[in-house]
Amino acid sequence: MARFLAPEAFSAATEDLSLLPFNLERTGTNQYLVANIVGDFIRLTEDELNRLIDLRIRPGDGLYEKAYAAHLISGTNQKAQRQLLAARLRSRMSFLQHVTPLHIFVVTLRCEHSCPYCQVSRQSTDRSRFDMSEETAMRALDIAFASPAARIKIEFQGGEPLLNFPMIKTIVAAAKSRSGKTVDFVIASNLALLDDVVLDFCKANNILLSTSLDGPADLHNKNRPRPGANSHELAVAGIRRAKEILGPDRVGALMTTTEASLDRVDDIIDEYLQLGLDGIFLRPLSPFGFAIKTKQFAKYDAQKWLDFYEHGLRRVLEINRQGTPFREFYASLLLTRMFSDRPIGYVDLRSPAGTGLGALVYNYDGSVFASDEGRMLAETGDNAFRLGHVDQDSYNSLILSDKLIGTISSSLTQCAPECSTCVYESHCGADPVYHHATQGDALGIKPLSAFCARQKGIMGLLLDILDNSPEDAAILRRWAAP
Amino acid sequence: MGALEAAAYRLIGTATCQIDRVADRYFCRLAPSSKPQKGAVLSSDDLKERFLNLVADENLRTRVAEKTEGVRNVILALAFGSLAAAQKDAG
Repeated sequence: MARFLAPEAFSAATEDLSLLPFNLERTGTNQYLVANIVGDFIRLTEDELNRLIDLRIRPGDGLYEKAYAAHLISGTNQKAQRQLLAARLRSRMSFLQHVTPLHIFVVTLRCEHSCPYCQVSRQSTDRSRFDMSEETAMRALDIAFASPAARIKIEFQGGEPLLNFPMIKTIVAAAKSRSGKTVDFVIASNLALLDDVVLDFCKANNILLSTSLDGPADLHNKNRPRPGANSHELAVAGIRRAKEILGPDRVGALMTTTEASLDRVDDIIDEYLQLGLDGIFLRPLSPFGFAIKTKQFAKYDAQKWLDFYEHGLRRVLEINRQGTPFREFYASLLLTRMFSDRPIGYVDLRSPAGTGLGALVYNYDGSVFASDEGRMLAETGDNAFRLGHVDQDSYNSLILSDKLIGTISSSLTQCAPECSTCVYESHCGADPVYHHATQGDALGIKPLSAFCARQKGIMGLLLDILDNSPEDAAILRRWAAP
Repeated sequence: MGALEAAAYRLIGTATCQIDRVADRYFCRLAPSSKPQKGAVLSSDDLKERFLNLVADENLRTRVAEKTEGVRNVILALAFGSLAAAQKDAG
């Protein structure tokens, strides 16, 4: 008499299995990329995919185990897997519980630079007209402090915000005198006007600096002209001085890709390395302000930018292989989405969109916008994302305005054509301002969207490296760590 | 029809697709865009193959959606809806 029953006796009956929700995308002849409801990826052949959908799978056939591990199938009466997926989904979407953590104060629209790609349409004159008044600033602060987040970030922007440094000091002092919230401060500056007075103030108030650095001197100065043609010299000196006074992690830099940057990505990355920065954010030009007026935005398409990005990412990986830790920050954000269920604060990688829910922007004249890009559009006459004015509105009237709710509800990727069934949906986001600016529609026609093409291109590239280059995959996985 | 419409949507920028219903059959007239937004102009055969692949994929998505609608709703309810509240109360 056999001591044990035959193996088949321990197998789950196929009729006890149920399929869990997933999205799919054809990636080649008979090859599919599949993502479960929280965006874990797996590659399947066409035959495997059909067997999976028809539940023609058995324990021991390989596909059964693969599908179970990837949360694509479950026992019909098995609650744990559904509860696990729900918990993960809730964690991924928990950014919704932290409403409006970012408040951007445009303390002036004046700037001493004259960048042809300027997305905010800076002004060069008329202090009285383009500087934020104290009365406006205090009303904006009232609104910021009425937001429910226990910790908020106040970011000073322009123009060049240091041209209205007295107002920055006033706002910081007023914010610190109010109780009930932890407040972080950031000044987004070109650093041309940075001096020891500003640095001492930043040190005393724990203020971060964020600046622009487009690459080596010739490229940076071409992109960012100013009197004296010394933008690069001043930015580099400012970064070095800020690192020295404030600390190495208290200053960050961002680059913007122009047509002139496209074949210079190695030079741009080397510039960041030489300055001792810990990574680079390879950013395309946005379709706002002077970038449209001067036709800078139209000078390259999504594919050219993706070629630039891939070359840059592979160069960054090479630097890491040679022993220097250095990140590409956009890849880092996407990898955090892919490898963890932590919510991230980046407003472009959210659905519901981060406009308004992620940030409010108080313009120099008291107008309030749902996003920084929204106020950029307004400077060229499009008030689609103007929510109200600090004199007439409260936090609640802005956040619950029909305009904001309409924008967010009409751009949800979870129910948009193509997006709702996209294999990358869990890691992507709605970008209603971009699609409004480029297509006149907050939802956008995704097959025509450069945002969509870039997102798919970058995530496809990351998955290709993760699958085919073990050494680089190990580096990428480290970038997803907190 | 839903699969045909979804496939036609995904072709926007590459080609146009006019769908007509005649009795119990659907006729799809494909025309490549002269200035495609993505990639090169497709030949008739390439366009036909691309469209048929898109339709096949949409049919797969439809099958998955039909089979998983109930459990998707359960997971969403556990995450955000009344079942999430019930779990909290029980805990």
